Amino acid sequence: MLGVGNWPDLNVLVVEDDALVAWDVEAALLDAGCLVVGPANGINRAMELMEANKLDLVVLDLNLGKTSSAPVADRLQEKGIPFIFLSGHSREYLPERHRDRPLVSKPFHPSLLIRALQQAMEHSRAA
Amino acid sequence: MSAKQPHLIVGIGASAGGLDALQHLFAHLPDNTGMSFLVVTHLPADHKSHLAEILRRYTEMDVTMIERDTEVRRNVVFVAPPDSVVLLEKNRFHLAPRGGEPMHKPIDVFFSSLARHSGEEAIGVVLSGTGSDGTLGIKAIKERGGLTLAQGSEGSTPEHHGMPDAAIASGLIDLVLPIQEIGAELGRFASGFVDAAMAAAQTVEAPESYSEVYGLLLRHVGHDFSGYKLSTFHRRVHRRMQICRVATVEEYVELLRADTAEVTLLFRELLIGVTSFFRDNDAFDVLATQVIPKILEGKGSNESVRLWVPGCATGEEAYSLAIMVRECLDTLKVEPRVQIFASDIDEKAVSIARQGRYPKALMDSVSPERRARFFTEDGVSYVVNREIRSMCLFSPHSVLRDQPFSRIDLISCRNLLIYFGAEFQSQVMPIFHFALRPGGYLFLGLAENIGSHSDLFAAVDRKQRIFQKRDHSAFPRTPIIPRAIAALMQAPPLEDEENQSVATLLRHAVDRRVMERYAPAHVLVNRDGDIIFYSARTGKYLEPPGGVPTRHLLTQTRRDLRPDLRAALQEALETLRRVERRGIVADLDDRTSVVDLSVEPFGNSPGDPLFLVVFRDVGEVRERTIGPIAGDERVEQLERTLRETRERLQSEIEEHESALEELKSSNEELHSSNEELQSSNEELETAKEELQSLNEELHTINAELMSKVDALDHANADLVNVFDSTKVAIVFLDQNVVIRNFTPAATEIFNLIPSDAGRPLSDISGSLEDRELHREIREVAQTGAMIERNVRRADGKATYSMRILPYRAPSGRSEGVLVTFVDVTNSVEAEARQRVLVEELNHRVRNMLTVVNSIANQTLRQSTTKEDFVAAFTGRIRAMGAAYTVVAQRNWGDVLLRDIALEQIKPFVDGKAERMKMEGPAIRFSPTAALSFSLVLHELIVNAVKYGALAGVAGSVDLVWKRKGSDALELSWSERGGPTVAAPTRRGFGSELIKREIQRLGGTYGSTYEQSGFRAVLTIPLDESAVQVHS
Repeated sequence: MLGVGNWPDLNVLVVEDDALVAWDVEAALLDAGCLVVGPANGINRAMELMEANKLDLVVLDLNLGKTSSAPVADRLQEKGIPFIFLSGHSREYLPERHRDRPLVSKPFHPSLLIRALQQAMEHSRAA
Repeated sequence: MSAKQPHLIVGIGASAGGLDALQHLFAHLPDNTGMSFLVVTHLPADHKSHLAEILRRYTEMDVTMIERDTEVRRNVVFVAPPDSVVLLEKNRFHLAPRGGEPMHKPIDVFFSSLARHSGEEAIGVVLSGTGSDGTLGIKAIKERGGLTLAQGSEGSTPEHHGMPDAAIASGLIDLVLPIQEIGAELGRFASGFVDAAMAAAQTVEAPESYSEVYGLLLRHVGHDFSGYKLSTFHRRVHRRMQICRVATVEEYVELLRADTAEVTLLFRELLIGVTSFFRDNDAFDVLATQVIPKILEGKGSNESVRLWVPGCATGEEAYSLAIMVRECLDTLKVEPRVQIFASDIDEKAVSIARQGRYPKALMDSVSPERRARFFTEDGVSYVVNREIRSMCLFSPHSVLRDQPFSRIDLISCRNLLIYFGAEFQSQVMPIFHFALRPGGYLFLGLAENIGSHSDLFAAVDRKQRIFQKRDHSAFPRTPIIPRAIAALMQAPPLEDEENQSVATLLRHAVDRRVMERYAPAHVLVNRDGDIIFYSARTGKYLEPPGGVPTRHLLTQTRRDLRPDLRAALQEALETLRRVERRGIVADLDDRTSVVDLSVEPFGNSPGDPLFLVVFRDVGEVRERTIGPIAGDERVEQLERTLRETRERLQSEIEEHESALEELKSSNEELHSSNEELQSSNEELETAKEELQSLNEELHTINAELMSKVDALDHANADLVNVFDSTKVAIVFLDQNVVIRNFTPAATEIFNLIPSDAGRPLSDISGSLEDRELHREIREVAQTGAMIERNVRRADGKATYSMRILPYRAPSGRSEGVLVTFVDVTNSVEAEARQRVLVEELNHRVRNMLTVVNSIANQTLRQSTTKEDFVAAFTGRIRAMGAAYTVVAQRNWGDVLLRDIALEQIKPFVDGKAERMKMEGPAIRFSPTAALSFSLVLHELIVNAVKYGALAGVAGSVDLVWKRKGSDALELSWSERGGPTVAAPTRRGFGSELIKREIQRLGGTYGSTYEQSGFRAVLTIPLDESAVQVHS
């Protein structure tokens, strides 16, 4: 399995509150040749990991427990770290300012997750 | 007879008091008789009648006011409009204008039209009313064999008797019934009529079956009907049978035998239809050619010809005579004055005759030329014109009781005698004989004869029943004796003749002699002063006058007695007491006598009193002059005095005569002005009646209006309650968007107070965030198309479903706009909530599928065989399901640790569940935490069952938990008594999952493999939102 496009060993943070799903995402990223940071199951933990690590990409679940992960997205945008949303919700539930970010719908297929990450990377580099 | 179902049409005439009668009639009338009904009433032409609406409440039948020409339908009640008269032709009702004249007789007009149209299938019903409308119509119906009914006075009496009484008096009403029975009788008659018609169509009885009937008629009324047309006879007998409710001819014969009155009724039924104009034309022709010219010829213009029609009924016969006389007069150079006295005992009939107005149907026998010349047509009836009318003088009069007319040239008495028996006829003939002048004529009906009086009359034309008076009897053979005295005279003697002894007989002879010789002279007179009985020796006081014999007392009394006698008679007549006059000085024969006279009532008949007049001579006046007659001078003086007295007398007589003449002429004037007054009185009656009927109807309508007003009050009260209670805000606006009304709920939307009604809506501030409202209201007002949408309050607290509708007036026209607001805030919110829930469900399902997908992925990574995968995967899915079961039982609230554990161990049978011991305080897990913990426990249990303490038959597990410090929970999983275990070489899925789930809960996980068995310790932080101690 290839890495994310032409960029192997990327540091990818997984922000996902469900342990089993996080595990599955981790497995998919590892299979793709990425390095996994996290997973973080809440905003605070996500923020901590974000500050503590140099991140290339982030997989962000929209709902963390009963709270929205929008603050995390805002922070990522500030820092210029590309990220994708992973959610059971449709696009219209994304915060308006992040609505054009790649969205992978749950349940996900690993290849779609990887492709979305590639897009995010390409988009980030191009910008 | 055709096989067609008979169609009975019932004409109902009612006027004043008729509304009540009609209600009773229809209330008792079956509604499926198959008959048709037309109700004719008297109402002013310009009044809109509500009769149809009123009647609808009393019958199930369709009730229709005739507005245009209409086909007659069965089981329908038609009502004649007040401004027209209704005629019937070819099974259709036609309307004809009623004309302006006040003597409006719509009932007669319709009845006669009905008679002509339906014949025997016509029924006429006359109900309450004043006047006499209907009588002529009844006559027409009866003539053509229809059935006639009138409201009788039995039971509930009609409010106004005039109309029914006139109809009944005509003798042409078959049934007089109380109003409550008329309806039922009509129903009965209708069903019987159909049966009878069927029977008649099939069988016409042989003449033999009627032989008994013929016999009875011949015996009782002296008329042989066996030569009569059988079909007519059959029909008329059957009509009587229907009325008597008798089924067979045999039964009817029985009835006839038992009841002679019925024989008379049958006789009349058989002779019906004989009193119209020129009825029996042949007879009239003979009269016109042979009799009338003879009466008229040779009479000077100052002479008068007098005709008498006794029993003139409704006048056709009198007018027929007048027409013929008029025609005959046209051929003469000199016209004598002609007077036709028409009399009838029934005043109503006389008033009909006096009006001289006849419906068309009764005019069939009048030739078009005569109609044109002698009548004025007003569309539906004919009125006798003035020329003919002025020849006739109508007055109520009884042939038997009242003084007969005298010096009559022709008596026309047709079909009166048939109504009475032979006794009456024998009384009437001498009266007629008396009334006629010498050589006068008598004209009788075809079914009548002079009977045994051929000594009084000679036949001129026996076939046409024209007779002439025989003159040889110089004095009326039979004096005209009122019935009262006749009865008196025929009274049996006080004592039985056989028991009278010789002494008594002697006594009587002596009495008689004494009476003759010594009793004062006396006479018995009736109220008119006609002498009925003379005593002996009245010659002294009475003297037959010159001229025609007379029986009048005063004309016979000697002159000196006359003034006192007249006064005494008058007084006695008025007071009915004995009156005396004494000391009257009179020249009787050659002496001057003093006479007392007395008049006293006699007999015991108050209605027809008799008077006994007694004359008593009380002596001579001895000497009128005291001194002896002194020579010629005295004689001369006396002669002069006598001459002067004679002259004075002569002039007195002349004056008297001229006064008499004047009286005569003024009497005649009075007569004619009386006639005029009579007819204007009748006109007033008609007008009064119309007003009465109108008044009744208005009364009823008023009552109805009152109840409608009550109902409106109720409806209004309901409306007010609806207004006050409804939460729907409604604003009523007129065409100019001015507020007419609003419900209290509307004040929450617009700042309305009750006095705002009448202000434009745009003046009122509202609480809506909407600017389009006013434009839309105007749009709806113009287009009439409804607008519906939701609007929000400006403060966002409520949402309303607003509808703008056109306001429909009862006429269907749009008369403004209605704006309604229904508060839909709750449902709008509920919809939003619903959307959130659906999205949440969607999200959860997707999450769940993601989790399942993850479990599948990870399980697959760890499985070596397909069987391993299936066992592990289904176990984990089941564990998740079990976790959900527990959570769902708590309705997605917190669940207890013990319950989670019990649910996870439950699938493991064979006592394994009992080998897991639990101990610890009550700990609550949130649903997500419970789910995570369930998966953890599942992995521990599966591991123990597979490899650890629960794999064998003896091992056990202790699950013990306790609080650790203030903010954590510590659980220990200790296996004992299982097979010896060693730590696995690589970390398996189970421990990886446990680690990750516990990490997710923010806790730690550690495990050791000891001698006794596997042991794990979990630390989970206590957190308000996930895991906490149950209080």
